[in-house]
Amino acid sequence: MDRNIDTLLGEPVVIDLPGPEPGIPDFEVQLESLSQWRLAWRRFKRHRLAMVGAAMFLGMCAVAIIGPFLLPYNFYTIPAVDKVVYAGRPPSLAHLFGETGGLQRDVLTLVVNGARLSLLIGVGASVFSAILGAMVGGIAGYFGGWIDNLLMRIVDIMLSLPLLFVILVVSKFLGNGNWYMIMAIFAVFGWQGISRLVRSLFLSLREEDYVDAARAAGVGDLRIIFRHILPNAMSPIIVAMTLGVASVIISEAFVSFLGFGVQVTQPTWGNVLSNSLNFITLGNWWWPLFPGLAIIVTVLGINFMGDGLRDALDPRAKE
Amino acid sequence: MTKYAVRRLLQAIPVLLGISVIIYSILLIAPGGPEARFAQNPRITAAQIAAFRHRWGLDQPIPVQYCMWLGVCGDKPFLINALPGGTIDLAGVRIELPGGDNGVLHGDLGYSSTDGRSVAAVIGDRLPATLILAGTAWVIWVIIAFISGVYAAVRRYSLFDSAITIFNYAGLAFPTFWLGIMLITIFAGTLHVLPAGGMWNVRVVPPFGTPDYWAYFGTHPLAALGDLGTHLILPVFTLVVVSIAYDSRFVRSSMLDALNQDYIRTARAKGVPERTVIFKHALRNALLPVITNLGLEIPFLFTGAFVTETIFSWPGMGYQFILSTGNYDYPVLMGLLSVTALVTVFANLLADLMYAVVDPRVRYD
Repeated sequence: MDRNIDTLLGEPVVIDLPGPEPGIPDFEVQLESLSQWRLAWRRFKRHRLAMVGAAMFLGMCAVAIIGPFLLPYNFYTIPAVDKVVYAGRPPSLAHLFGETGGLQRDVLTLVVNGARLSLLIGVGASVFSAILGAMVGGIAGYFGGWIDNLLMRIVDIMLSLPLLFVILVVSKFLGNGNWYMIMAIFAVFGWQGISRLVRSLFLSLREEDYVDAARAAGVGDLRIIFRHILPNAMSPIIVAMTLGVASVIISEAFVSFLGFGVQVTQPTWGNVLSNSLNFITLGNWWWPLFPGLAIIVTVLGINFMGDGLRDALDPRAKE
Repeated sequence: MTKYAVRRLLQAIPVLLGISVIIYSILLIAPGGPEARFAQNPRITAAQIAAFRHRWGLDQPIPVQYCMWLGVCGDKPFLINALPGGTIDLAGVRIELPGGDNGVLHGDLGYSSTDGRSVAAVIGDRLPATLILAGTAWVIWVIIAFISGVYAAVRRYSLFDSAITIFNYAGLAFPTFWLGIMLITIFAGTLHVLPAGGMWNVRVVPPFGTPDYWAYFGTHPLAALGDLGTHLILPVFTLVVVSIAYDSRFVRSSMLDALNQDYIRTARAKGVPERTVIFKHALRNALLPVITNLGLEIPFLFTGAFVTETIFSWPGMGYQFILSTGNYDYPVLMGLLSVTALVTVFANLLADLMYAVVDPRVRYD
């Protein structure tokens, strides 16, 4: 026998009830159990802008992973050209995004190869800073007292510094052009916002009954923080982390553009842009245009996705 | 209220100390150290380098060096150095102050290692250019963000509201430096209608800030202003486009908040004209968070134009920062960081106090 029950989501869920068997009373019901994440995924799928954003971002990731294999030109070989045009050449069939000034490199090849490190640094730095921020914020919010005070004053201090200035100087002094150092520097200077967020979540979550129950059962502090409270604070962390990827990608591009980031022999979108400033008055718009568009598509995609995630993970927070 | 203000002021002291520790650590991680410039010189012996290190206190433990840089340690007994020093002239009576006179606490930021000028002079030279650029852009975008935010909130879900939302999304996604490059490519590289960068036309106008410049300004006020204006257009436009988004969203949501209050419904139910409801009842209350937000944007006037300055070679503090980073000019770097951090701390303080003054509901505990 079938019954239709309207869920809160308005979607009919068909519940298959076993017919009454002889001797067994009819009260065991089998429900399709939907975890919190499955519910969130449903809401996310229905958010049209978020799906567009996810497609933009994942598309760019696909370009980064397989793109370099599909191109006729290799990033590490500088093309032999029959005729050097100092300003570079505008887009043509052989070079869809045009050629740069100076060495006449194919802009498409630069952009596609640049996607790898730009995305890797953006995602890596955001994930690491989210982990750092969750740890600091969790410890501060859970223990409170002087630990909280100390950690939050450190956050205040770091937020009072002009962080882009600091990142620039530290990249110059310690980075040596290594992409993983640049990623680490962005992570080390990027966790403060998330730690404030996590702290405020922990302040309310630590008063929940299940935390008292865990403590009464003799669970240790660290286990309560990471196993019992943190999973309940995950949604806002994920949203903040996603939006963080966008800002790291933009800042990294700027730092590399100035020549203080990843070394020029390795492609990132910032590096592709960096030399274009020397040719800027020659009117070769195609050189800076395409790496910039790649950044904009990625950042827009991430921002759309982040907004969708916010609505999907925390439906109460909707405006 | 006074108690609250004093407490907030006292709380700022440990934050400022922490900032100074971080800024000092940046100097420590710098490669080479101050004696690096002697490394390539074969005539300088190890003994001379040791003497140099001793002369400047570089052989002291790092905490002592930090203490000296701060101006707390020095020739005089501990902590006495931190007091104001020097002599003051009070109507012919000269008073010797007990404290020391060097170190950051006394406003002594050291000397540039590139050209030997005092760091305060370097910053003082660069500050006006930054304030002109960032100030102009700030006034323009605050006005635009305010009008567009209020209008979008009043006409919620209208075509205008959606248009503003899309524009804001785009503004947040544009890398500032890229927008600058594209504008230069179009208006300077292709159309040749605006200058590609700089603050004055070097062929006609003397360098900004010099007495010659002010003399030129006195004799040709219109030409000088016009020259400054044409150089301002592109960088100001860049700053405005990328900065409007945040403020505009802020004003919109603050205004929506106010419009959803019960007293608005009461006012409308009483038959108060819609115009009065919006401008008198809602707008006034929506202004509270907006004012605080404006206070928090003060540091922007010092640091926010950083990226734009770099792209447009605008001779401000951000441009100086890039130059000094390239030259490993630590004293100037530390000076710039200290000044901007100090401004940030006081702007936060000011915003908090301003909020407490305008909103009587804020409790001081």
